[in-house]
Amino acid sequence: MTPTTSPQPTARRATGTRATRVLGIVTLVMLGWLLLFGLVLSPADIDQGDAVRIMYVHVPTVWLAYLAFIVTAVCSGLYLFGRRHSLGFDRVAGASAEIGVVFMALTLISGSLWGRITWGVYWQWDARLTTTALLFVTYIGYLAVRGLEGTRERRARRSAVIGLLAVVEIPLVHWSVRLWRSLHQEATILDTDLDVDIDGLMLFTLFSGVVAFTLLFVWLLLHRTRTIALDDLLASRGLDRAIAERRSEVTSSGSIGGGS
Amino acid sequence: MTSPDLSPRPVEPVVGRRRRRVLPSLVLVAAILAGGVVVTRFLTSAVDYYCNVDEVGLREGCDRDRRLRLQGTVTEGSVETDGLTTSFDIEFDDVTIGVDYDGEPGGIFKECIPVVVHGYFDSSNDRFMGDRVEVKHSDEYVSVNDARLTEARESACQPSA
Repeated sequence: MTPTTSPQPTARRATGTRATRVLGIVTLVMLGWLLLFGLVLSPADIDQGDAVRIMYVHVPTVWLAYLAFIVTAVCSGLYLFGRRHSLGFDRVAGASAEIGVVFMALTLISGSLWGRITWGVYWQWDARLTTTALLFVTYIGYLAVRGLEGTRERRARRSAVIGLLAVVEIPLVHWSVRLWRSLHQEATILDTDLDVDIDGLMLFTLFSGVVAFTLLFVWLLLHRTRTIALDDLLASRGLDRAIAERRSEVTSSGSIGGGS
Repeated sequence: MTSPDLSPRPVEPVVGRRRRRVLPSLVLVAAILAGGVVVTRFLTSAVDYYCNVDEVGLREGCDRDRRLRLQGTVTEGSVETDGLTTSFDIEFDDVTIGVDYDGEPGGIFKECIPVVVHGYFDSSNDRFMGDRVEVKHSDEYVSVNDARLTEARESACQPSA
């Protein structure tokens, strides 16, 4: 193992720094801001009534999941094609995928609740929901592959390949409502016709949600990546301890042999 | 100097460790199976989720004698209910079909809103017997306080073509 691939022991063992604490506070403030606008200040929708407020969680969580999976793909590429094959990139990829899966689950749950109120059903196998379910299952598989047996490098290589392949599903999910006939509505903002059909305050609240959840993602990613690094450090320390034990066996047997 | 003995040492089997080793494999198998089911069972029908009202009997897969998912806009003034059955018309591109649905449609069902009705044609009266109604709301979000409210309401019942 090269020095660059193993986390260096440091004096600190916590995952937080001054910067992450500031980021955490800013994230909390933004989430409070989102609650205020999402639940109090933004108006109800003419058709959906107050159910539209689910959008301020549903859209940011799916945005965050997409972002997380893209980060996973980028770091997978950097690990695979980088000169040093740094395990640091693999740790970021894994941490990002974990966060993405959690938020994709939240997307599916919030979407089901929203669907029950507006469509009249919790779930329907239409194009958007089916491709989203497939994306979710794919990244659960990715996380499972990361947990399979093998050396750290071998596991990193395997999961990097899957991380790069799986990200191709994201455009398919996003454009599924355009490519095929779907119960799910088309995109309101990220659409090709650039015609944003949403009330100004609703759009502002939605934007606040995206910013708040993006900050949350960065905060979670930093902490989770450092946790994985500490896990690796712990594992390498176990190896160091085993080697030290073997050496001490040799030393003691040598001293016993020398004495007899 | 004697070289260290690097042969593996016997380790007490730990249940938790074994579980940690097996769990990812089980999750991976479950994920592959679930993905396979989603692709083979659901993705095929998902890409062609509904037939528009004007495609009945004309488009492949939209035959009158089979179970259909029919999409159209609820015609203004057509909704009637007798407590058990809700009757309404749905239209698309100047073609209208009458629907009978047992019960009260859920969601934000109302006149002038696009819906997908699951069901089949009753050959005796040529009406569509729905057993599920899903509201297909648009990608527009309009505030209830909006000054354009009247305008939005007026334009809401323009069936999409």
